[in-house]
Amino acid sequence: MPSMLQTVGKQLRNHPALIPLFIFIGGGATMSVLYLGRLALKNPDVSWDRKNNPEPWNKLEPTQQYKLFAINMDYSKLKKDRPDF
Amino acid sequence: MSDQIEEKLKNYRTAPFDARFPNTNQTRNCFQNYLDFHRCNKALSAKDQDTAPCQWYQRVYKSLCPISWVQKWDDQLEAGNFPGKI
Repeated sequence: MPSMLQTVGKQLRNHPALIPLFIFIGGGATMSVLYLGRLALKNPDVSWDRKNNPEPWNKLEPTQQYKLFAINMDYSKLKKDRPDF
Repeated sequence: MSDQIEEKLKNYRTAPFDARFPNTNQTRNCFQNYLDFHRCNKALSAKDQDTAPCQWYQRVYKSLCPISWVQKWDDQLEAGNFPGKI
């Protein structure tokens, strides 16, 4: 593992134009991992503990937005319209 | 509260947007309203209250769910092997 890093370091010193490659690949990989993490932890369809958290989508407020981009949907104007019981 | 519900039931056109189910796949919305209708009936009749507000859930699931699903679940409820928790 450290020898791989030494090899990469040597290659970068000899060909510094490779640095943007690492930046972009690294950035893309980070974004993928972050999105998968958000899906695993924050998605209301996901329940890791079915005994204590059986229906996590019911915990969303009526005005709470889960989607990253919601076009044509003004969440602040929504009201809770289901009867309580 | 109850006349609000009557008002809403009278002006009902279709199932409103539900923030819990914002995507195209509304399967869970259908099933949740079916469950909520039966849970509402069970909870309100256990408290000896009028179950009229539960009609909201019935209207919503009838708008959303395919008829064959509703029939299957009703048959399962009668037979006693409905998989959801009511």
